[in-house]
Amino acid sequence: MARASTKPSSPFTRIVSAFRCLLLLLIVVMAEPLSAEIVDQVPRILILYPYDEKIPATTIAGETLRHRLQQATMGKVDLFSEFLDLSRFPEKVHIDRMARYLSEKYADRRPDVVIALGEEATGFIVKYRHAIAPDAKIVFCGFSSADAVKLSLPSDVVGAFSEYDIAKTLLMARGLQPEARDLVIIGGSSDFDRSWLATARSDLPGPASGLKTTYVEDLTIDEFADRASRVPEGSIILVLTVFTDRSGRNFIPRNALERIAAKASAPVYGPYSTYIGHGAVGGNTVTFESVGTAVAELALDAIAGKPIASVNVPKTFVADARELTRWGLPESGLPAGTVLSFKEKSLWEEYWAAIIGIVAALALQGAIITVLLVERQRRLAAEQEARLRLLELVHLNQSATAGALSASIAHELNQPLGAIRSNVDALEILLRKEQPDLDLIRQILIDIREDDQRASDIIVRLRGLLKKRSEIDWQEFDLNEVVNSAIHILHAEAGQKSIVVSSSDPTRALPVRADKVHLQQVILNLATNAMDAMVDAATTERKLVFFRTALIENSEVELSISDTGRGIPSDQLDHVFHAFYTTKPTGTGLGLSIARAIIETYGGKIWADNRAEGGAVFRFVLPLAQHG
Amino acid sequence: MTQLEPIIHIVDDDNSYRTALARLMEASGYRVVTYGSGEELLANLSGSDPGCILLDLQMPGLSGLELQDRLTEKAPLLPIVFLTGRGDIKASVRAMKAGAEDFLEKPASREALLGAVERALLRSEIRRAEHDRVHTLQARLDALTPREFDVFGLIVRGKLNKQIAYELGTSERTVKAHRHNVMEKLGVHSLAEAVSIAERLGLLDLTAKPSDDAHGAVRRASP
Repeated sequence: MARASTKPSSPFTRIVSAFRCLLLLLIVVMAEPLSAEIVDQVPRILILYPYDEKIPATTIAGETLRHRLQQATMGKVDLFSEFLDLSRFPEKVHIDRMARYLSEKYADRRPDVVIALGEEATGFIVKYRHAIAPDAKIVFCGFSSADAVKLSLPSDVVGAFSEYDIAKTLLMARGLQPEARDLVIIGGSSDFDRSWLATARSDLPGPASGLKTTYVEDLTIDEFADRASRVPEGSIILVLTVFTDRSGRNFIPRNALERIAAKASAPVYGPYSTYIGHGAVGGNTVTFESVGTAVAELALDAIAGKPIASVNVPKTFVADARELTRWGLPESGLPAGTVLSFKEKSLWEEYWAAIIGIVAALALQGAIITVLLVERQRRLAAEQEARLRLLELVHLNQSATAGALSASIAHELNQPLGAIRSNVDALEILLRKEQPDLDLIRQILIDIREDDQRASDIIVRLRGLLKKRSEIDWQEFDLNEVVNSAIHILHAEAGQKSIVVSSSDPTRALPVRADKVHLQQVILNLATNAMDAMVDAATTERKLVFFRTALIENSEVELSISDTGRGIPSDQLDHVFHAFYTTKPTGTGLGLSIARAIIETYGGKIWADNRAEGGAVFRFVLPLAQHG
Repeated sequence: MTQLEPIIHIVDDDNSYRTALARLMEASGYRVVTYGSGEELLANLSGSDPGCILLDLQMPGLSGLELQDRLTEKAPLLPIVFLTGRGDIKASVRAMKAGAEDFLEKPASREALLGAVERALLRSEIRRAEHDRVHTLQARLDALTPREFDVFGLIVRGKLNKQIAYELGTSERTVKAHRHNVMEKLGVHSLAEAVSIAERLGLLDLTAKPSDDAHGAVRRASP
């Protein structure tokens, strides 16, 4: 089997190979005309511009034309542009050279269609068509049928004629000024100007139309302007063209119109779109865009092989919105389909995308701000809630402290009360004597008053301990005061436990800003913890709670409360401030965590340490209230 | 021996209360000495005069209860009336067990204070009288020779002369002579009286067998 398959060629194999070769040959043969046909399918169009690329009229028409061609063929067109520059180089030498150049340039790529813009380009291509584009269809645009006659064009050369209809311009004027009684027609002194005047005389209706018509001609430019300034009110001024005035000065008609319109006492109209923007209210005209579009349609028909014939470029009414405003003419008076230029678009028309964008952005921002405000509100509410909870907790802890201290507080209060009672009893006995010792009685009364004051002071001190707060009562006070007050409250409790409470002598006032009751709470908490820590210590050992205040850089104050108990295991120094940390069988484990919350609320810090000589020390730091 | 006015010893760390109490007591006709602390009392107390102690239970330093312990040694004849700012049941029970005369809560009324003081002074009187009697009896007991003391110890436990002679390894006649001397020295005429003395001096509370310890303890207790 293996040998059989390696045989050079079996009859069947040979047939297959031959078939393959044939197929390949067929493809190669067919491919050649196919590719040629594809090339032929893309038509070449040569556009001839009479001048250079800076002339607006031809440039506008040319651009519109190119765009239309590209769009209609979906890009399947080869467009060539040539600027003949005939205004700057009108010499025959240049024209011949140009013809030669183009003939050679397009020798291998002969155009299928040549589009000539304007009379001069049309004349040029008609003359040299055999050298440049012998088989091309020639279409033109940019001049009237009357001009075409002068060029004596061959019958196969067709185009889009620009015909002007001065009657339609007047129609527009009358639509805007139905009350007008006078018509003033202005024209210059050149041949072209005079031909326009002649056209007007023949095309415009006579006095039968109800308009008193005056032709103003053969004047200098200033005289034209002067006349325009003195026309009867409500007149219609129609400016045809002024290429040359009576004095022989040449003008670009647009500029001449501009000078006349500037002084005119009535609205000025004219048959050219170029007049728009230079003082004319409007007119009926052929726009360069419509010229471009019209000739493009002819060219498209030509490359499609359809028969083509000359057409008239559709005319358009054009108007200047600023002039309408200037003369107070209603926009509604314009003929339907008028192209209104310089209309100040409303803010919405001009910037609708931006406005929508801005409004959307504002709405989005508003929504975000609303969400943030709501969030903020909720956070504030939550913070308020948390603060209330803390205050409640603080109060609970306060109450617990008050409860724990109540026995010793009762004792504390019973001292002055007991003294008062005994003093009164003694007084009673003394007064019954025949010769009472008045000095003693006086002294007793003084003592009674003092004890009464003492009892009252104790109650005042305790009131804070029991007072419930719904918000922080910020006040500035001397920390020493609170320390002393706390020591007084603890005095009895310490006495019962045989603990000596002492404090460093205050060297200066220590103003802090906080809620006094809260700080007293912290101090009592730390001190009762300190006393509880010494419960196991033997009586003979000196039990001591020592309060010490110190300044830190004149901006903070540190208060330390130390004891002589067993201290805190060093691995738990950090844990003592955690909630529910407690070593006491009946403790809640909240005291120190509340103390920390309070101190931190007032911008301070609290921590615990062990003293080298034994016992623990709790310290907190608070910022000093700054004066001025 | 002149009968002295009783002295009220007031111990309270609260100057104002102490002074007021002292005034009341003085106005009521007592001699008063005040002390600011338990330590001060222990340092200055002279135990010879009759009287009582008004003691604040809660004081820094030596507490009321600790002071009470020391006073049972130093001034056993002075009854203690505790004053406290709070109804501390535990402390009061302990104090009463330890022999406190009374327990008053501050602020105590004059009636309560004076009543308690009067009762305490009465107790003081009784204690002194008792103490004096015991003292006299002790002095008589001290007059006994050791041999006579041994015989006395056995008599009050109802031993017959024969049994005593046997226990002491002597003759019945010698015991009789000792017995006579004991009755003579103690100034008693009957066995019942002798037993009474023994009981009052606490000799019968001790072990049934009289020992040197018991003897010594009683002897040491006498001044």
